[in-house]
Amino acid sequence: MGVVEWVDLFKQVLDKLPLTLFMLVVSLFFGMILGVIVAIIRVRKIPVLHQIATFYLSFTRCTPLLVQLFLVYFGLPQLLLVFGVDINDWNRLIFVIVTFSLHVAAYLSEVFRSAYLAVGYEQLEAAYSVGMTYTQALRRIILPQAFVISLPNLGNNIIELLKDTALAFTIGIIDIMGQVRIIIGNNHGMGMFEVYVVISLVYWGTCILIETAIGYLEKVLQKGRISISKN
Amino acid sequence: MFVINWEFAIEQFPEVLKGVPITMAITIVAMIFGMLFGILIALCRIYKLPILNRLFILYISFIRGTPLIVQLYVFFYGVPVLLDFINVKFGTNFNASEISPLIYAFIVYTLNTSAYQAETFRSSINAIHVGQMEAAQSIGMTTAQAMYRIILPQAFIVALPNLGNLFIGLIKATSLAFAVKVVEIMALARIIANDGYLFLEMYLVAAVIYWIISLVFEYTFVAIEKRMRRYEAHVDAKVA
Repeated sequence: MGVVEWVDLFKQVLDKLPLTLFMLVVSLFFGMILGVIVAIIRVRKIPVLHQIATFYLSFTRCTPLLVQLFLVYFGLPQLLLVFGVDINDWNRLIFVIVTFSLHVAAYLSEVFRSAYLAVGYEQLEAAYSVGMTYTQALRRIILPQAFVISLPNLGNNIIELLKDTALAFTIGIIDIMGQVRIIIGNNHGMGMFEVYVVISLVYWGTCILIETAIGYLEKVLQKGRISISKN
Repeated sequence: MFVINWEFAIEQFPEVLKGVPITMAITIVAMIFGMLFGILIALCRIYKLPILNRLFILYISFIRGTPLIVQLYVFFYGVPVLLDFINVKFGTNFNASEISPLIYAFIVYTLNTSAYQAETFRSSINAIHVGQMEAAQSIGMTTAQAMYRIILPQAFIVALPNLGNLFIGLIKATSLAFAVKVVEIMALARIIANDGYLFLEMYLVAAVIYWIISLVFEYTFVAIEKRMRRYEAHVDAKVA
């Protein structure tokens, strides 16, 4: 294979990178919101919701993502049909994002929970003593600190999620991985090895970018922390 | 209309269970060899062996930066290319199609998990205080003896929670082995589902089986950890 073919292959694969990143960012967004909610439910031990959240966590963390993806893709339309909602013609991307959001939320909620507990109860008491409500204290005092603590674990989970998006092609999404399947199909199964080398390089590159970004963010946020303690 | 064919699911449950031995074989083989390589890689990185350290940094970065399914495919399609090349170059007569898919799965999962285990062992060996090594050397042990007798047993306990997580992660990761044509739980579920076009039922069955296996091993690891920590607990009790 000449240089031109390699470059062409890279171009074809990189063409679909935005879709992979889109899945990553949107699932991460919803996953973070849900993760924070689940974490708060588990920390405050809100009666019924606490049991539901624990059950959800156990299920999500103990079954493969692939199984979850298929369960949502095949199960959700049937379930909603009971309530008279027909979602069979919905875009497949929605099912993928629902699955990934639910999946990553379970992991993120544990990350946030440990970070929340690491901040310490005194901070909350101090916030109460100056007259803040719990919501205010959470938003202004606890979460900003917890976020910094959770950053390394958050980075790990983002990278895991990026790699997990490679499963979306199993229900017919044309992301990087789906594009690779198409290229192989067009070549009638020839040159599979080269194509998979290219795609692993693309994933690897993206991963290194995310790693570097998180490392930079950590440094910046950590800096503020040290200077405050010095004052 | 919302219909789950429960009868079919319960009837086929034992059929899917037949995939459990394969799933567990991949997990356990990968875990054992991964532990061996993981410790070796961790030691290479801790002692910063000249070329090996760089090489393993690259290796870990690659394994952690690419999806497992891509690694499976690269290996599955790469080995025949490599064997062809060797055959032409050295006039040997290896045949890639004679290699069982299970061998591919064993190798890829071992390579994958050894990268993660190397990081786990590196952090847990680093967590042991350097004084332990110095004390061992002061009574005349060599570095290798001290590592084997003093440091590693302690580091193993520190690594145990992470090893448990990796083990359960590995069980779930085997659901991708169908990509290299290994027939495990997930592949069996798919095959049966294709027969009756009852996907939801079979995936539910698969989910329940994975869940049960994971729960069993979660409790097993907690029990092992408790048992291995029993000496520490005694020390604490006496001090208190």
